[in-house]
Amino acid sequence: MDFIIQNVLNALQWGSFYALIALGYTLVYGVLRLINFAHGDIFMVGAYIAFFVSGFLLGPVIGLSPAMAFAVTVPLTMALTSLVGVTLERIAYRPLRRKGAHRLYVVITALMCGLILEYSNLAVLGASRLKFPELIEKQIWHLGGVTLTNLKVLVIATAIVVFLFLQWVVTRTRVGMAMRAISYDKFAIPLMGIPSDNIIVFTFILGSGFAGLAGLLFAMSYPVLEPFMGMLIGWKAFIAAVVGGIGDIKGAFVGGFLLGFIEVGVVTVFPSTYRDLFAFTILLLILWMKPTGLFGMPQSTKI
Amino acid sequence: MLLQVENLEVKYGNIQALHGISFHVNEGEIVTLIGANGAGKTTSLYSITRLPPPEAPRVIGGDIKFRGESILKTRPSDVVRKLHLALSPEGRRIFGNLSVMENLKLATYSRAKNADLDHEYERIFELFPRLKERRNQRSESLSGGEQQMLAVGRALMTGCKLLLLDEPSMGLAPVLKYELFRKLKQLNEEGMTILLVEQNANLALHLAHRGYVLDTGNIAAAGTSEELLGNPEVKKAYLGG
Repeated sequence: MDFIIQNVLNALQWGSFYALIALGYTLVYGVLRLINFAHGDIFMVGAYIAFFVSGFLLGPVIGLSPAMAFAVTVPLTMALTSLVGVTLERIAYRPLRRKGAHRLYVVITALMCGLILEYSNLAVLGASRLKFPELIEKQIWHLGGVTLTNLKVLVIATAIVVFLFLQWVVTRTRVGMAMRAISYDKFAIPLMGIPSDNIIVFTFILGSGFAGLAGLLFAMSYPVLEPFMGMLIGWKAFIAAVVGGIGDIKGAFVGGFLLGFIEVGVVTVFPSTYRDLFAFTILLLILWMKPTGLFGMPQSTKI
Repeated sequence: MLLQVENLEVKYGNIQALHGISFHVNEGEIVTLIGANGAGKTTSLYSITRLPPPEAPRVIGGDIKFRGESILKTRPSDVVRKLHLALSPEGRRIFGNLSVMENLKLATYSRAKNADLDHEYERIFELFPRLKERRNQRSESLSGGEQQMLAVGRALMTGCKLLLLDEPSMGLAPVLKYELFRKLKQLNEEGMTILLVEQNANLALHLAHRGYVLDTGNIAAAGTSEELLGNPEVKKAYLGG
C-alpha cells in the first residue's frame, strides 16, 4: 500500500511539471492555432532565470535569507520569463502573422526560436552544468512507509492552484472570453473593439509565466541545469497537451498527469530504460482511438 | 454629416474593387448600399471598419471621414472603441463556442466599467426576446434568424452610434426578414444611425431614407428611397422589373 501511495505521489509530481508546461502549448494553440515549439525552451530559460535571480538575491549585494529569496524569485522569474515569451511573439511570430504567412512557416520559426534559445545559452554560458542553490530547506516527512517532501507538496499544490486560476480566467473574465472567442473567429475580434494583439500577448504572458514557474520548481527539485533540459520535457508536455486535447486547459492538465502516471507506472514494473518507450506507445494508442485527444473537439475548419 | 466617403479607391490584392466612390450618412438616417454580388458593397464596409492585416482592403485613393476627420489611420479596434462604429458582418460571425450572453458581454470589452450595461442588455432582450430565452445557450445552436439577431445585438452592445449591417437578411425566412427589418426601423426611431448593405434591394429601400446603387465598384445611382424605387433602370436591374 505504502509503495502504491509513494508512486502516486511521484506520479503527481511529474504530472505537475508536465501539466504546467503543457498549458502553455495549449493556451497558445487555442488562440493562434500555433504549436509553439519554443515553449519547452522557455521552460529552460525560466530555470536559468530563476538560477540567476536567486543567485543575485542570495549573493553579497542583496544578501536575503533563502526563504525571502524564494519569495522574491517566484514573481520575478515568472515576470522575466513572460518577457522572453512575449519577446518571441513580438519579434518572431507577429511579423509573420502580419504578412499572412502559412502556419507551417510559423511552426518552423517556433522550432528555430527554440534552437536559438538552446544554443545561445550554450554559447554564452558554455556546456558546463549549473548547480541550483537550495532555496527552501528540504523537509522530509515519513508517514508510515511513505516519504513526503515539502517540495513535492509544493509542486503538486502549485499545479492545482494554477489549474483553478486558469479555469477561472478562461470562463469568468472578459479577457478569457476573448481568448476563447479568438480561437473561434479571429476576424471578428477587432469588430468587438478588442485589439487581437493584446489578447495574444496576454496569452503568451500566461503560458510563459507558468513555464517559468515550472522551470523554477523543477530546478529546485532536480538542481542541475543544462541548456537542453527543456527539450525532452517540452516534447513530452506537448504530447501530453495533444493527448488531453490541445486547446483545452483541462486536457493539458489531465494529459500531463496521465503521462506522469504512465511513466511512473512503467518504471515500477519494468526497468527504467523502458519508460519512454512504453509511455509514448500508450499515448500513441490513446490518440489512435481518439485522435482529437481526450477533451478535444473535432476541429471544424472555419473560414 | 456623420460619415463621409470621398472618391474611395480600394484594392483587394491586385484587384481594384472600388473605383472612386462617394457617399455619406447623416446622423439619424438609414442609408442603404444596394447592388449585385461583387459590386463592392462589403468592400465599402470593410474599408470603413477595416480588418487586421493581411486581409484588410487597401485604400489607394480618396478618404473616409467620420465627423469630419479622416479615419484611414485608425486601428481597427479603435474604430469600434473610440469612434463607436460597429459592424454586424456578412455571415454573422458570432462566436459559436460562447453562450449568447457571453457574446453580448464580449462586445462590451472596451467599454467603461461604470457604464450602465444591465440596462443595455435589457434593451437588447426587449428588442430580441428570443435571445433572452436562449441567453445561456451555446450560440452555435441558435437558428439562422436568432444568430442574426445576436450579431446585431452584439454590435449594439459595443455602444455604437453608427451601426453598419452587412446582408442581415441573408439566409432568413421571409417572416424573420420582415421581423428583423421592423426591429431595425424601431432602432432607428430610437436614434440609431444605420448604414445597411443589402442584396435584397426592395426590402432595403423600403426601410431606408436614402440609397446608393453600386455597380462593379462605381456608384450607378443615388437618391432618396422613393426616387430609387421609381427609377426605371433601378427597377429593371435590381427590383425584378
